[in-house]
Amino acid sequence: MPVNLVDLGVIYGIAEHDGIVDVDLTFTAMGCPASDFILEDVRERLLREPGVREVRINVVWNPPWTAARLTPEGRDALEAWGLAV
Amino acid sequence: MPSAAEFAQTIKSGELIESPSEMTPEYLRELKHTLIVSGDTELISAPAYYLAAKRAPSINAFMTGIAIIQDELAHAHIAYHILEELGEDQEKLIFSRDPKSFRYPYAFDVPLESWTELVVANGMYDQAGFCLLGDIHDKCSYGPWKRGLNKVMAEENFHLRNGRTWMKRISQAGGAAKDELQHAVDWMFPLSVEWFGLPDTMKMHSTQLEYRLKGLTNDQLRQWWLSTVVPYSEEIGIKVPAHKETKDGKDVWELDYPFPCEFDAEAKRWDFSKPITWDDVLARWRERGPRNAEMVAMFQEEFHRFRKTHNNGA
Repeated sequence: MPVNLVDLGVIYGIAEHDGIVDVDLTFTAMGCPASDFILEDVRERLLREPGVREVRINVVWNPPWTAARLTPEGRDALEAWGLAV
Repeated sequence: MPSAAEFAQTIKSGELIESPSEMTPEYLRELKHTLIVSGDTELISAPAYYLAAKRAPSINAFMTGIAIIQDELAHAHIAYHILEELGEDQEKLIFSRDPKSFRYPYAFDVPLESWTELVVANGMYDQAGFCLLGDIHDKCSYGPWKRGLNKVMAEENFHLRNGRTWMKRISQAGGAAKDELQHAVDWMFPLSVEWFGLPDTMKMHSTQLEYRLKGLTNDQLRQWWLSTVVPYSEEIGIKVPAHKETKDGKDVWELDYPFPCEFDAEAKRWDFSKPITWDDVLARWRERGPRNAEMVAMFQEEFHRFRKTHNNGA
């Protein structure tokens, strides 16, 4: 991926409590072909943080993702990659 | 049209060729040939991958498999579209050629029959495609193709990721799953090695290199492929018949079997005790493999049937 998930605007919420991290995230499309990779990356990366022992990911669809959720950095990264945003 | 000498100078200077009016007939012929191999390879990977993607172990995995097939069709379209700009008839190229005249690697004639074989194809065949196209993207003297490959390279990364992630996951599962993975690698690794064609010692002159249609020789491309696939396979605990040696201070990847050697396509089995000649390999390639006609029929049949019924109804 040319852009990180935060700049892509798909992370809706994150909270940590006693080493358990809860993540609310969405995908840019319901048929996202990279969904497994994204879930795996998020889990693997958060487990590398000191003190994190469990990652719970909640996939949400409301509000639906649109390009308006991109940060300016995310928009620049996608444009540099040749995607229309 | 430039003279042969003017054209040679343009190629040598590193300038890009942008249209047929800037080419010699020989360059045009070689460019078309190279594009047909590329288009045919991408196109045939779609039915070949589809046979296996149907056996995906989850809906998410199936979506990934289908997305890869969609990418491959789009990549084929880039090559055929450029061929059309160069005067070829795209519809004829795709739908009216005899299966045996398609110019894709022999590997795709051997059926992929499980999700495991699909992900090994993503890890090994797509890596071969990545090396071949990466080289063209980097060095190609024909501007429209070079630029068209920008996005292709990004998408091929996604296929590699699918291959590598799943190969690792299956290997870690161990037991029968790992055995199945090892078996797939055992027959698919040597087919990928063969994909890059004749060794440089037998191919003294390459028009493709002379015209800068590509930048690396067959053996250089094969070494690049080995340098990515061998370490990754070893890292995830899968055996491959090759190893690294240091010669004159440089890393060289050596095969642990006679190259080329005998392959039983029906049984998907190599016989490392039976070396063969490159003439034998070329004869096998010309004959095509077990599923050549079936793969081509998968996209040709309905086109002709629909056309016939459509025209009759009109």
